[in-house]
Order: sequence, then C-alpha cells, then structure tokens
Amino acid sequence: MTSPLRVGILGLVMIGLFSILGIRLWTMQVTEAQAYDERAEDNQVRVVLTPAPRGDIYDSNGVKLAGTRSALAAVIDLALIDEDEREPLSQNLAAFLDESATDIEELLSATNRGSQITVATDITDAQATFLLEHREMFPGVNVIPQPVRTYPEGEVGAHVIGYIGKPTQEDLDERDDINGEDVLGKAGVERAYDVALQGIPGVVEYKVDAKRKVLSLENEVAPSAGGSLILTIDSEVQSQLQVSLQNGLMQARRLEMEERRLAVEEQSRSQRVAEALSEARAEALEKALEEKAALDAAAEAGESTTTTRPDDGERRIGPVEVDETEVLASLYTGLPIDADGICVPVQRVTIPRGGSATVTGIEPRLARYESVAQFGGELAADVIVEGKSYRVKEGERFAGTLRVLEISEDQLILNHSDTWCPVRAVGVVLNPDDGSVIAMSSYPTFDPSAFVDGLSNEQWTSLGTVSAFTNFAVQGQYAPASTFKTVPYVLALEESFYPIDRGVGDKEIGQEPTSGSTSTTIPDGDTSTTVLDDATPEDPEDVVLKPLTSDRDEYSCTGEFRFRLNDGSFQTKRDWKWPGGHGPLDLHGALQASCDLYFWDVALRLWNERGDDSGIDKENLLQEYARGFGFGTTTGIDLPFEREGLIPDRAWFIAEQREGSPRVRQDGSWVGGDLMDVAVGQGAVLATPLQMANGLAAMVNGGTVWQPQVVRKVVDQDGNVITENQPTIINEMDISPRTTALLLADLRQVVNNQERGTARSAFADFGRGVYLVGGKTGTGEIIKAPRSERFRQVDSAFFVGVVPVSDPEYVISVVIERGGSGGRVAAPVARQVFQFLLNGPDGVTPIAPGLDAD
Amino acid sequence: MTFATRSRERSSFLDSYARSRPDFVLVATYIAISLLGLLMIYSATAPGLEARGLDPTRELKAQALFVLVGFVVFAVSSTLDLTEIRRFVGPIYIASTLLLVVVLTGLGDSEGVAQRWIDLGPVQFQPSEIAKIAVILMLASLLARAAVPLTWTTVARAIMVVAIPAALIFLQPDLGTMLVFAFVLLAVLFVAGVTMRQLGFLGVATILGTVGIFQLNLIKSYQIDRLTAFIDPGSHELTLSYNQVQSEIAIGSGGLVGKGLFEGSQTNLQFVPVQSSDFIFTAVGEQFGFIGSVVVIGLFSILLFRLLSISVAAKDRFSFLVTAGIASMFAFHIFVNIGMTIRIMPVTGLPLPFMSAGGTVFVAMSAALGLAHSVWIHRKEPAGDR
Repeated sequence: MTSPLRVGILGLVMIGLFSILGIRLWTMQVTEAQAYDERAEDNQVRVVLTPAPRGDIYDSNGVKLAGTRSALAAVIDLALIDEDEREPLSQNLAAFLDESATDIEELLSATNRGSQITVATDITDAQATFLLEHREMFPGVNVIPQPVRTYPEGEVGAHVIGYIGKPTQEDLDERDDINGEDVLGKAGVERAYDVALQGIPGVVEYKVDAKRKVLSLENEVAPSAGGSLILTIDSEVQSQLQVSLQNGLMQARRLEMEERRLAVEEQSRSQRVAEALSEARAEALEKALEEKAALDAAAEAGESTTTTRPDDGERRIGPVEVDETEVLASLYTGLPIDADGICVPVQRVTIPRGGSATVTGIEPRLARYESVAQFGGELAADVIVEGKSYRVKEGERFAGTLRVLEISEDQLILNHSDTWCPVRAVGVVLNPDDGSVIAMSSYPTFDPSAFVDGLSNEQWTSLGTVSAFTNFAVQGQYAPASTFKTVPYVLALEESFYPIDRGVGDKEIGQEPTSGSTSTTIPDGDTSTTVLDDATPEDPEDVVLKPLTSDRDEYSCTGEFRFRLNDGSFQTKRDWKWPGGHGPLDLHGALQASCDLYFWDVALRLWNERGDDSGIDKENLLQEYARGFGFGTTTGIDLPFEREGLIPDRAWFIAEQREGSPRVRQDGSWVGGDLMDVAVGQGAVLATPLQMANGLAAMVNGGTVWQPQVVRKVVDQDGNVITENQPTIINEMDISPRTTALLLADLRQVVNNQERGTARSAFADFGRGVYLVGGKTGTGEIIKAPRSERFRQVDSAFFVGVVPVSDPEYVISVVIERGGSGGRVAAPVARQVFQFLLNGPDGVTPIAPGLDAD
Repeated sequence: MTFATRSRERSSFLDSYARSRPDFVLVATYIAISLLGLLMIYSATAPGLEARGLDPTRELKAQALFVLVGFVVFAVSSTLDLTEIRRFVGPIYIASTLLLVVVLTGLGDSEGVAQRWIDLGPVQFQPSEIAKIAVILMLASLLARAAVPLTWTTVARAIMVVAIPAALIFLQPDLGTMLVFAFVLLAVLFVAGVTMRQLGFLGVATILGTVGIFQLNLIKSYQIDRLTAFIDPGSHELTLSYNQVQSEIAIGSGGLVGKGLFEGSQTNLQFVPVQSSDFIFTAVGEQFGFIGSVVVIGLFSILLFRLLSISVAAKDRFSFLVTAGIASMFAFHIFVNIGMTIRIMPVTGLPLPFMSAGGTVFVAMSAALGLAHSVWIHRKEPAGDR
C-alpha cells in the first residue's frame, strides 16, 4: 500500500474515534439531558431529617406507662468539617464530655460523608450554651432538641411495654423508614407497634454548593408525632400481679430451702439423697468402664499406655468411689444462694487467671483459675475448687454445680447453677369476654428506663443471666399438667364419653402388688414405671370391666393404673396421690381432686376405640378439642416472639422420629400411653401461660376463643382514634351451656371443697367472695430431653383460675417454674390477685403456702 | 517513490519564510483553540477564586503567559528545517531519555503518587512531554532510512526506540502517557509500511504483554481500579470516579445549547474538581452544550485534517513520518481526554491539547505543532507552483 492511502486510512480511524465522541455527546446532551439535569440538581440539594416525637403508652385508665421528655442533644454535621479540623474537634469534645477521644474519633469516622450524627444525648442547658458559644472550638457541632424516653411506672408492665434501643444492621436493612440515629422498639409493644409510635420525621431541604455550604432553604416539612397506645392493661391489677408473682417465687424458694435442710438432716433416709448417691455411683462406674475399654483397645493396638497403674499389667475395675461431700454439696451446701441465704437458680462466676473467686453456698467454696493450655485444639483450664483440681473445657460440668461458659487467657466464666431452685413466676390475667389482657408479667423483671441510657455490663449480665428481659407469658412453654384436664373433661361431657372402669372386682383400693411377684422399677422420664416380672397374676382380662355411662357414674380412682400393652407386657402408671389414691369419684370429683386415673382412662378408651365405625377420628379427638381451645398454635397476640406450644399426635411423633429428635423414643410408634400423657397435660404437651389462660377463658365463656390483645387503640396527639383493635374471634367451640355450668361449678369446688379441692388450703383465708372463685391446679415437669437432667423430676407449679364463677370477668394463669406443686405455690399467687380483684388492695392477705397437692 | 532533494545552501530566516506560504488554517485553528482554552480556564477558576477572596484572573494570567510563550515557540519551530534538525535527533533522543531517568531517581518532584516533574527553580517542567517529540523524531528517523516494506529487524528496532522511554515513563508511574507512545508507534509503523502480518504480530504481542503485566503484578491495584472504574463507577462514585461522574453530570446537564458562559452550576460551584486541567472540556460541555462540544471537536478535526494533509505533502520521508507521528499523538490525546470527561475512557491524566492548563504541555505541544507547520512551509513544491 502506498503512503497516502495509509494516511487516508489513519484519517478514517480518527474520524471513527471522533464519531464515537460525537454520538456519546449526543446521547448525553440531547437524549438524556433531562436525566443529567436532575442529577445536577440533586448534587445541590441536601436533605436533613428532623426527628418526630415518639408516641406515649397508656394503660386502660389513662395512666402513663411510657412517655418522652424533651432534652437536648449535641450533633455534628460531618459534611461541614474539613479533614484537618477533625482531630482538634475530637479532642475538644472528649475533654468537654469527659469521654475518650478515641471513642469520639471512631464515631466520627464510622459514618458516611454528609450525615448528621449524635455525639451526646441529654445534655444540660449549661453544656448546650457552652457548645453554642464556643463554636470555634466545636466546628460543625449543633444543639438540637432530641426527646428522651421515660417510663414513669418503672417495672410495672415492663414485659408488655418492652424497651427501646439503637437499631442493628439487620433492622436497618429491613426498615427503610429509620436510620442509624433513631431508636427502635426492641421488645413488647414498643416493638410490635414501633412504626405507629415512630411517627414521621420532618424534612428540611437546603441548596448547597460543592463545599456543602448552605446557600438557601428550599423546603421545610414539620414532623408528625407518633401515635400513642392505649393498652388493655390495668396498671393497678398489673402491679398487684407483679407483687404477687414476686411473693410467690420467693415463697417457693424459701420452701425449697426448708426442704433441703430437712433432706440433709435426714440424710440416710431421704430419697433424694439416696437417689443422688446411687446416680453418682452409676456415673462413676460408667466412666471407669469407658476408661478400661479405652486402655484395652490401646493395648490391642500395641500402643503403650501413658497412665501408670498401681498394679502393673493388671487391669481390674476396683471399687468405685464416690465423693459423698461433693454429692451433698450439689444437693444442698454448695448450691448458689443470694445475700439473704435463699437459693438462686443461676449465678455467674468470673475468675481472673491466677486469681480466685467465691462460689456461693451455705458452705461457700473458693475457686482458683490456675492456668490454661491447648488440648487437642481446644482450650482447657485448670481449676482448683476447695483443694480439688479439675481440668475442664468449655461446656463441661464439674464440682457439682459449676459449668464452664467461656475460657479465655484472661478469665474463666462459669455458671453456678441450682436445678431445683424455683426459677421464675409468670402470670396472665385475661378478660374472657373479649380477650383483652388485663395484666401480664414474669418475675424476675426489669425497668425499661435502664435501656434509655444504656445498661452497664453488670446490669446486662445479671439480668440477662436470669432472662429477666424475656416475656415468659408468651415465650415460655410448659407442660401444663393437670390444668389441662379441663380439656378431656369437656370432651367427656360433650361426647358423653366416659371411661371403662377396670381393676374393681373385690380389689381394695390402693393395694400393693400381690405377694410372691417381683417387679423392677424403671425411671421413665415421666413417672416411674413398674413392670411385673411375673406376668400372670394380675391379668387385666380377669377383672370386671364396668363402662361408665354418665358424668355421675363413679370410677375407682385408685393409686395405680395397670394396663396391658400390645406386646403383651404390662405397664403401670401411678397417680400423684400414691399410695392411697382418691377413692371412688365421678367426673366432677375427679376434676376437683385432680385424679389422674380417670382421665388416663378416658384417653385409653379413645385409644382402644380408634378405628371403630363411628366415623369420628377418636385417636385425635382429644387433640382436636385441645387445638379447638387454642392450644398448639400461636394466638396472634400483638406482642413479639410468641411461641406456639405443642399438642402432639401420631403425625408429629413420626416426623420427630424421622429427624432423630431426642424428644421422642427412637423405636416404636405412637402408643396409647402417649395419648394418656396428653390427657393430663404431660409428655410432649407444651403450652404458654397465655394459652393456658386463653384456653380456660374459652371454656368458661361458652366456647369462644378470643384473640388476646394488649393494645386497645392507637390515638393521635389530640386523642383522635387512628386505629382500634376490635375483639376478634379465633374459634368457636360448640359446647353446651350445661357443660359450661358444670365446669364452673367444679372449678369452684377445687377451691372450696374441703375434702378434695386441691386448692382449698391456698384459698382458706381468702375472705369475702371465696365462693365466687374457681380454678384448677397443676404440677408438672418442665420439658427436657431424656437423659438431660441428672435425675429426679423437678416440678413446676401451675394454677388457672376464674372469678366470679357466676359470670366470669377475669381468668388467670400462674406458672412457677420449678416451684413445687400447684396447690402449694401457684395457687396462693392467684389467691392474692383474686383478693385484689374482688376486695381491693385491703383484701390482700400475705402469701402463704397451700396444700401440697396437684 | 522518489523525493526531491533540496540543495544544502543556507537559507536565511526571512528567505525561507517568504518562499512558502504558511498554513493559515492551521494557524487560525491553533490560535482559536488556544484562546477558547483561556476563556474556559477563566470561567472554571474565576468563581472559585473570587469566592475565596482571591484574584479571579490569577489562573488565567498564568496560562496566558504560557500561551504567549507557546505562540513564540510555535513561530520559531515553524522556521526550522527538519532535514537540518535530523542530525541532532540522536542526541535529542538520548538527552530526553536521560531526563526521564533523572525524574525517576528522585531529583524529580512528585506530585501525588507519580514522579513527573523536574523543579528548576521558578519553573517546573515535565520531561515526558519532551520525550514525546524526541521519540517521534527518533522513530521517524529510523523508519525513513528503512526499506519498504519494513523488515522484522526494522520493526524490532522501532519497538526498541519507543520501548525504552515508554518503560521509564511507565515506572513513574504514568500509564496514560505510556499509552500515547504505544498508539503513536502503531500509527507511525502503519503509515511507514508495516505489513499486515507484522501488525497482527504486534497486536498479539500487545495482548500478551498486557496479560504479562497483570500476571507479574507490575501494575498496581489502584491503577487497575482507575482503568476500570469508568465502566461502572458504582462504589467508586464518591472517591475514585468522583471527577468523572461529576463531569458526566455537568456535560449532560448542558443540554443542546449549554447553560451559558459562567452559568455552569456544576463547574462554577466547583462540583467538578481539577477543572482547569484534565477536565477543561467539561466546562465547554456544560456551558455551551452539544453545540459547543461539536464546535470544539470540529476545530480539532480541522487541525488533524491539516496535519494529515501536511504529512502527505512533506518533501521527504522523514518529514512525512514526523508529521504523521505528531498527528497521531494529538489525536490520541484529544480522544482520550474528551472520552474521559464523558466517561467512555478511563481517567488517565492526558491533557487536552492547547486547552488544558499547564505550561510544559502547552509549550511542548506548540513546539510539536510548529514542527509540523515547518514541514508544510518547507514542503516539496508541486509541479507548476510558483
């Protein structure tokens, strides 16, 4: 090719390049000019949000439970400060606010350019004046009104109200109406109604130049205040409930301390001590066997063993030793106590390395954190407790009551716990006519004001260790035990379905197994089960079966229930009142005395008749009734984190087995015994205190299951209603007025019948109006997987009640976790609240234990 | 192709000037662009200076001084006879390469991350600007002697000539300027008669070289970021790509006719940093819109057209190659600079010829343009002329 041609081609290339420029310019300046114009505008506009005051929270009578007070905050507009001004500013602020300069530096550098951050909240007028008068020392700093949250009633209603705090990154991602400067409801109605409470921030628009200097004010929109909540809670009833829960819990703990003292005094004869020692021996034996197996395996593999054995070459399992003092310490002397000498469910113990700390107890022990080292990839700590050495890893238990939470180079954190100390008391008071919650609390509780300024580490730890921030009324799940018997009770009346009495004949009630037969007792997790070795003597087929046909037919409520399983073996379940039983009782007496056998037998009959031609799914009929009354699903109450409880059935059982869940047996299927457990609210049945109250409310109001609610309405600043929560029906159970009336009458008898009412002692000195009170006690185990607790069941106490029985206005549920028996510690709490409701504050008498009855 | 040889009689300055007509179009375009540049610099800098209470014409005056010097340099270099310069090409090339080394050794002044300047008391200058001209001269000299079509040896030598200074510049590091050399090399080789096969080979070599540079981590991550950020500013919008994005907004918002002189809110309120140098075109785009942009590009097009025409009319092969090299150098600068302001090219720091503020650049480019002009003035006379 010749040169001019090539030059020509080069020229064409240049033309091509310039054309690209031209096309792009055309696109930008002609076709898309509009879009660019807007962006240029945006460059120049700065938007600042002014916060809206948060709405208040009132109880049903207008008592203010949460409000705001005006306060001043110091804020910085980062866009107005140059880089080189930042450091002197941090220094000045640090000196002025008495904080560390590094903290302030962090605060300043952690945010995007152009935003406003709060550097100090709730400053005094004097501080504000100083900042404004010395602007040269504090460039870019401004003082703005920033309201502070107040909780005038402190702890009252804390779990329903909730608390506020700074939003997390997740919160910011989810909500686009808040930024990092706002506060957010974290629990309770503060959280559930956060959007309504927030209000809408105001907007101020400025026109600025590239230096963000304000040129002019373009637009201003005032903030609109958040809506205020009117709760269904009555703060006076709420106060009384909280006081009574605290009384009940402390009483339960004192009773527990007394029991222990007796147990230790009667050491050798006490069942608890004997069981503890035998369990400890069994564990030690198991461990020794494991060690031997390991050593044998090592020998086989030809490895030399590093442990020196006293009798060289011989490996025998000698007598297994158990430290009795340690067992006793874990039973009594070494358990954690508070300053008044009363048990505490859990305490945190922090030991610095090389130092020691006191492990509380009736006989306190000294624990020393000696050293830490790596063992197989994990940290292991060497600890000495009262002269005994232990080498422990995270999660391990040792020295009877201690469990390792965290091992670090600097310190060791342990939990010192007591599995028999009553943990907490939970209560709910509902209106059975519309589902409004009148009071709800769990104790230990907290004061929401603590969150406003931020909790100290100590406060957070001590409250957090006892889960004080959790609302167990909706988040706690318990096996409702005998309080659940109202469900098979209603089923029996509605379906005219009564048990088939067995084991009568000439048998005396409460007879021991006949002589000559031996039996083995197996701890079963629930009750202990006795299996007869000798299969022949008590063949249930020999006994006379007498089907009951009415609620008035009598049933032999003996102490023991023996029945044959499908595989031919026999099983025995024992009533809570064993030996002795209750004697002959009809349905009503069975509820009043809380006889287990009657209701087991209802379940057994359902089980045996499943698959009959009646067309009714008898196998799940009990569950249907339970779910009909709201058990097993969330109620949908307007509070966060509600749990749904559980009503187990065959389908659930199979699903759990498939997952290998520790909650169910691995082999076998859903059997009659499981259904019997459901009838008395045990086994895998779980309910929240709210569900217990709501369920009873439905049973006593004629069958309407209301949706519980804590907020009645949301109003604006002038009192105009923004939204109102109308009472909503979740379900209508078709129960006859006769059933309702009979139930109420029997509930009254539980409280008032001096022969068999399980709550009679608790309500003995009630005062005026005791005949208006009805209820049902319950004593049950907390949910645990098999083999998780060492031994022995720990009872939780329940009581559900209603007043007045003639025309129910209030329904209550009380749970004292690990408290003991329902009649003894839960019923008295309800008693105080009912006294308050019927007779006012003066009618409330001091807390006292009731009868030790289920 | 034969070239007429001129006699080696000495010509006086006035004689040679009278013998050939100057290229009025070239000169007019050159002056027009330079004056427009001054106007834009004033418009871009005055408001900011005034707002800070300083003399608004400060920057204008500084650049005007350089423009005057540039004009003089242009005039002087227009009179030079390239064929006589030719024997100095070697020393010039070596000297400028040495200066590049000097810059690297720390006698240089670093501004930002790169070492580009040499401080000579009251004056700072950039050796890389001089290197551009020196390399073009050297390259042209080499290729003028070579046979056509070019042999591989010639091509290799050409590459060497360019590669040494280019590498030194790359180490400053000044990636953008290095790329100028690459483009110029390719363009000059092309017009000098490189075969398609050789061209293909060069293309492949370039690609492999680029890959090699990445693999050997010779290129720093911030340089990579700078090169790729223009595609999607995204997270870089407030930092690395800030200038570009702001420039794009400014130009786009200029619309068809622009916002008017001194009415460019983006440029006048200083939303576009480094306006008077790298982003001078932004001021044009915002204040004079599409029409203004096209006018400026048009002026540059005329300039390039003249340069290419001059090259074809050159009296010998050497002059021809020099002019072609100068034309491609200008073309590359223009395309990359304007492309950068409208976000189709990465930010490279290449100035817009005769408009971007900067002393060395203006003077050096004026000298280069002057050389091209001198080629025209000393062109071979077509038969029948005079």
